[in-house]
Amino acid sequence: MDEIRFNTPHEKGKIDSLASDILKSVRINAGFLLWMTFLFTLLAACLFAYIIQLRKGLGVTGLRDFTSWGMYIANFVFFVATSLCGMLISSVLGLIGYNWVKPISRIAEIIAIAFAAVAGLVIISDMGRPDRLPYVFLFGRVQSPILWDVTVVTTYFVLSMLLWFFPMIPDLAIAKDRLEGRPKFLIRAYELLSFRWMHHEVQYRILGQAVRILLILIIPTAFAIHTVTSWLFAVTPRTGWDSTIFGPYFISGAFVSGAAAVIIAMYFFRVNYKLEKYLNARVFERMGRVMILVAIVYLYFNLNEFLVPAYKLKTGDAIHLRELFTGHYAMLFWGIQLIGLVIPILLLLFRQMRKPLPMMIISLFVLCASWFKRYIIVVPPQAHPNLPVQNVPVEWMVYSPTLIETAVTVASIVLVLIIITILSKLFPVIPIWEMAEEKEDAERIIQ
Amino acid sequence: MKYTTGVIICLMLLPSFARGQDWVVPDDRKGRLSTFPFTDDTRKEGEKLYQVNCHSCHGDPGRNNFIALQPPPGDPATEKIQRNSDGEIFHKVSAGRGQMPSFRSVLTTDEIWKVVSFIRSFNRSYVQKVMQVITSSAYPGAIISMKLAYDEATKQVLVIASATSETGTVPVTGAGVRLLAARYFGKMAVDEEKTTDVNGVATFSVPEGLRGDTAGNIGFSAMFTDEATFGSVSKDTVLMAGMPVIPVSLTANRAMWNTVRKAPVWIILAYGLGVLAVWGFIVLVMFKLRDIFTVGTALSENISASHGQTEPTKN
Amino acid sequence: MSRDKKEEGNRSNDLDRVIENSRRDFLRKLTLAGAVTVTGGAAIYSGHRFEKAKHREGYVKVLTEDNRLVEIPVEQMRDFKPDLRMLQSRGREGIAGKRWVMVIDLSKCRNARKCVEACQSAHHLRPYEYHINTLVMQESVNTPAFFMPKPCQHCDNPPCVSVCPVDATFKRQDGIVLIDNDRCIGCRFCMAACPYSARIFHWQEPSKHEEDGNKEYDVELNVPQKKGTISKCLFSADRLREGMLPYCVSACPNGVFYFGDENEDAVTNGTTKETVRFSELIEKNGGYRLMPELGTQPRVYYLPPKNRIFEFEQGEKREYKQEKA
Repeated sequence: MDEIRFNTPHEKGKIDSLASDILKSVRINAGFLLWMTFLFTLLAACLFAYIIQLRKGLGVTGLRDFTSWGMYIANFVFFVATSLCGMLISSVLGLIGYNWVKPISRIAEIIAIAFAAVAGLVIISDMGRPDRLPYVFLFGRVQSPILWDVTVVTTYFVLSMLLWFFPMIPDLAIAKDRLEGRPKFLIRAYELLSFRWMHHEVQYRILGQAVRILLILIIPTAFAIHTVTSWLFAVTPRTGWDSTIFGPYFISGAFVSGAAAVIIAMYFFRVNYKLEKYLNARVFERMGRVMILVAIVYLYFNLNEFLVPAYKLKTGDAIHLRELFTGHYAMLFWGIQLIGLVIPILLLLFRQMRKPLPMMIISLFVLCASWFKRYIIVVPPQAHPNLPVQNVPVEWMVYSPTLIETAVTVASIVLVLIIITILSKLFPVIPIWEMAEEKEDAERIIQ
Repeated sequence: MKYTTGVIICLMLLPSFARGQDWVVPDDRKGRLSTFPFTDDTRKEGEKLYQVNCHSCHGDPGRNNFIALQPPPGDPATEKIQRNSDGEIFHKVSAGRGQMPSFRSVLTTDEIWKVVSFIRSFNRSYVQKVMQVITSSAYPGAIISMKLAYDEATKQVLVIASATSETGTVPVTGAGVRLLAARYFGKMAVDEEKTTDVNGVATFSVPEGLRGDTAGNIGFSAMFTDEATFGSVSKDTVLMAGMPVIPVSLTANRAMWNTVRKAPVWIILAYGLGVLAVWGFIVLVMFKLRDIFTVGTALSENISASHGQTEPTKN
Repeated sequence: MSRDKKEEGNRSNDLDRVIENSRRDFLRKLTLAGAVTVTGGAAIYSGHRFEKAKHREGYVKVLTEDNRLVEIPVEQMRDFKPDLRMLQSRGREGIAGKRWVMVIDLSKCRNARKCVEACQSAHHLRPYEYHINTLVMQESVNTPAFFMPKPCQHCDNPPCVSVCPVDATFKRQDGIVLIDNDRCIGCRFCMAACPYSARIFHWQEPSKHEEDGNKEYDVELNVPQKKGTISKCLFSADRLREGMLPYCVSACPNGVFYFGDENEDAVTNGTTKETVRFSELIEKNGGYRLMPELGTQPRVYYLPPKNRIFEFEQGEKREYKQEKA
């Protein structure tokens, strides 16, 4: 099999050095097994909480008739938002022609797959009758944003999977002969999934066409998935949700949390998989600039979303904004705006802050703030409906999540980590052939 | 506790109710008697009527579970109410007072007597006195009847009352008459109470836009207000006196809230075409995967073929 | 307008003929509709209606669904119990020709909460689970406080129905917005969308789930209630079918509620049983609907709390204890 000739401009030596760097991490070692054991134990513990919820009903959560959407929905919105990074990195930046995104495009897709897949599961945990999930397909009403959401989340997940898999086919072909000492099943899987890739020009052309279709297709789908998620709120006449800018507001927010998630993942792969050569300071520096851009756009939408109603102070808005600005949610609200948005923007303006480690730390804050931001969007508008809340138990007046609810939410985050770990540990996280191509181009320019 | 406060406030606010402890019934009404004897059947029917009309305030007779109002509605099984004569109970139910509504337009005379029959079933010592003569005192010996007609030109319903005896038929004059229109949950008064003229005709004007069925038909009932004098005569007739109403289903039009079949066309199209387009491309991409595989298969066959040719020479 | 004119042309000036016509019409109706409708929809679907045998010993006369009068042996008679399919189909369809409407006279409500109790006992709800709730309202500092019974508004443009993903909540031809808890997936989107907070969710097993376990589900009564599904005011659709006023309406001791058919332009007071013209009642008393700016077009109208014959007295605060699961 060594006889395979590379019909593309790649030279074998270059490929070899790249492959040995990148495939170093593709192995089932003790660390991986330990980490997976930890994740699965945690998942099992958290799933026990879900079993309690299944048996006793949603009453085990802090949700009640007035605040009937809480942590689960906030978490769902966060997941959908974060999964949007796949579209941002590979499509928007890739199609514009930025070559520096090549080493991180697969990382972005892995994150997109993990969050999109779990978002679908998270929404089931919020259902009063999860056994009736098939009804959504049997009796679906096209007028309901939930049906749209189910449709686009599924589509986005499939597209992300394809966009992760297609550009990996040549890598699988390259890697399948370089997996000495790896388990048999993995080598077999690589062979099967490389779809008889022979590095032939014709195959590259077909692959190029397919990837281009996917890159274009994923842009409207990604916009749809998060716009529709925002419409779950914006189509209701509820103060705080009844906003016409909810679509772009959510999407710009999604770019922020998605970029943060990618930066964190980049840092961990760089350190743990020893990929400093590829996920280098230059890539981080560029991601830092992307982060500033999307965060400023999001800040701008925040300004619109809060300043305009605060100027008019209509009855419902006045109550809602008072709760956010100075009331029950003031700490959380200002904390999110400052720690999750204003301070990161200011810090990232300094070149020293766009180094890998500081960026990772900043991104951690941004990502956490993004989660709480979704909570602030979902929960407070329900606490003050148009008509007064009366003649109900006191627990019904204010929502506070219970331990069970938190455990189920943790389960979803653990599940995301499991998916990311499996995908990044069993397959190369950096595209080998694309990197080789880029190297080639760079050398040609130097000559 | 809450009720006590309520009662005190009512006492202060409404001294007029508290003052009139005794509810005086006109003498000529006191002696009024039922036109039929009370039986198990009348008691049962009375109970049904009681449950619908009286129970919400007076509660279950004998259990003292009437609601807290001032003055208290009282339990019909108690001595306070049972010591009333049949005529007194009839009058109080019929006329009403204060918070007790008048049931004159709700229940017919017979129905009120059936309620009395039910109430009396809680009184063991009660012995009924039945009215002996079931005819009008104004037209002794005559059979009184009513006829209804609609005058399209003047938009009036005419109630014609006549008394027929062996000596012939004469118009019933000076009798108070009420006209009611049948609605789904009860009868609705049409115009004011009228009195029959020398020809025995009472004229009721039908209000503008009174709704009928699809043809404009309305079921009317006419009855005398003074049954003691003119007998409990009533007449039900359907007249084409109303505005025809063609009911339109509220779910007839396409709307966002309607079922899928009646969803707005644009949303069905937008959703359907969007899904079709995106998934069409996904299928297309999957075919590309097959193409890659086919090309690869062809290439590897070429290679192995060339191997097959070269191998013997190597050996 | 033109329809009126045409109708006028058809009408005869001859009173006798009119009377005769309407009498014949009435008689025809009596035989067709009357016999069928009086005992309610159950009988229509059952296809059988019983009448005491008058002539032949051991036989009864039965009116079939297609209006044929037949005789069947007494021993072959079976009591009819509506099954789920029938309850569902008639429940989703609604009563043809009707447009239910409710009028709530705020000047009469003194917070007796009899409406709430009657409703909760009919629909097997806990004391803090409301299809109808009486609220203490005060719109601004200088405007008077008043009590406001608040059922579902049964909007003609219902935001809750628009967002339902599975057609579990739906609007019928007679205007009632129902919930089918056999279909509901418990996503609570409708609760989020309702501006009147009219919907409740069963966060735990419903109060009477053990006794109700084997009962056939009636979508018009929403009993048995089910865990993990939505429940809401139904305008007592089961009672309307039988020609009776809703539970809350007939339970009120203070004459607050009127209920009727907008097509007949008549509403009947649940306490006094007095029937009045709907349009006149609204016009003379300044009737209004809640939150008209939302465009939801409620079928519940309110009469303002003016000329009250009692002092507003909030009374003691009630404590509601949540039942442990």
